[in-house]
Amino acid sequence: MSEKQPVLLADVDADGALTEALGRMHGSTRAEALRTAALGGAALLGAAAGAPAAFAAGGHRQDVAILSFALLLEELQAVFYTEVERNKVLHGGLKRQATIVGAHERAHVRALRVALGKKAPKRPHFDFGAATEGPAAFRRTAVAFEDLAVAAYKGQAPRISSRAYLASALSIHSVEARHAAWIRRLAGRQPVQGPFDEPLSGHEVATIVAKTRFVMQMQTKGKPRFTG
Amino acid sequence: MNRSTAPSGLTRAALMRRAAAAAGAAAGGAAVLAVAAAPGESKPSAAQDKKILAAALVLEDLQAAFYARALRDAGLSGEQREFARTVGDHERAHAAFIRKALGADAKPPPKFDFGETTADAHSFATAAQQLEDVGLAVLNGQGPNLTPATLAAAAKIVSVEARHASWIRDISGAVPAPAAVDVGLSVKEGLARVRAMGIVIS
Repeated sequence: MSEKQPVLLADVDADGALTEALGRMHGSTRAEALRTAALGGAALLGAAAGAPAAFAAGGHRQDVAILSFALLLEELQAVFYTEVERNKVLHGGLKRQATIVGAHERAHVRALRVALGKKAPKRPHFDFGAATEGPAAFRRTAVAFEDLAVAAYKGQAPRISSRAYLASALSIHSVEARHAAWIRRLAGRQPVQGPFDEPLSGHEVATIVAKTRFVMQMQTKGKPRFTG
Repeated sequence: MNRSTAPSGLTRAALMRRAAAAAGAAAGGAAVLAVAAAPGESKPSAAQDKKILAAALVLEDLQAAFYARALRDAGLSGEQREFARTVGDHERAHAAFIRKALGADAKPPPKFDFGETTADAHSFATAAQQLEDVGLAVLNGQGPNLTPATLAAAAKIVSVEARHASWIRDISGAVPAPAAVDVGLSVKEGLARVRAMGIVIS
């Protein structure tokens, strides 16, 4: 993957939802550092998802890389919602949102796994820390995840070669946008930020996800974790 | 960019069956991946982009006019009014964006008769939900028929339509995201649904 212009988190996080979520994870000082830090580092997620080189290769190899990447994002979300349900910390509208959206994300995971067949990468381990332990942290993180998923699918869709894969990706993309508007309204934010939703590149999404530290296997120097 | 090649080792039909089976199993049969809706098979081209954009423009013009009319006639208040004002602005921006892309080929807005859909707040909410769901379904259905550059532009609009759909559903107490996938519609099917609402385009 070629070096790109550095992207500031602030550029892609218009109303600070992601920064807030990160702040809860790592403390406000770290969040402040992230806000101004250039996101130009290693695309850890891309590497783990299969093949950064394949992202630029075109054709079927590129499709597999894109779907693998989408699978990772869906697994991230699916496990997040499943975990918060198990923790039984949500009530009312938030609980309903998490139940329905969680089922959708798990459906997306299964559909992508079927489409990828044997080429599907293994599921990494996730550690959401406090993000699934209370309604406020859940809400902030869910807003960030859903907006990120919308931008990620939007960035990858025009690069998909197979019409069948493309139709599937588009049919998921708009559902992620429904999820985003839903959780934003529950969080007291504007469901729609403006007339156009901007895409993020795979590199940008991978860098943002890596910085959340939710994905354990993506970390090159992470602490070893007991996984049972 | 070639979009017609089946992935190696899988025929397109087999892939569709597998994907549809997975989605169906996962979502209780209610949701089938959009591939099952079989987008048109015509190969993307600049000429086809224009046709699809022209159809999308009619839908954006329709939505923009619908919200303007509703703000005048439907007696909206509170969040419904905020929704109509915000979304109306977005639809106008979308129409302007598509007009610019079409250039000299862009047609002026058709005349619309919204019938009873803007008569009161309840009719408005029902119609807005249907129009937003249809708008995004048509864009989803036509996405695979667009060239990558035009698809990238359309994708900036489609997720905003999905957010609108989710928002008005939530205001109305409906499930904002009723299925795991949003199945695509053809332009013809989309326009038929609009007509079935009692809206006349002339």
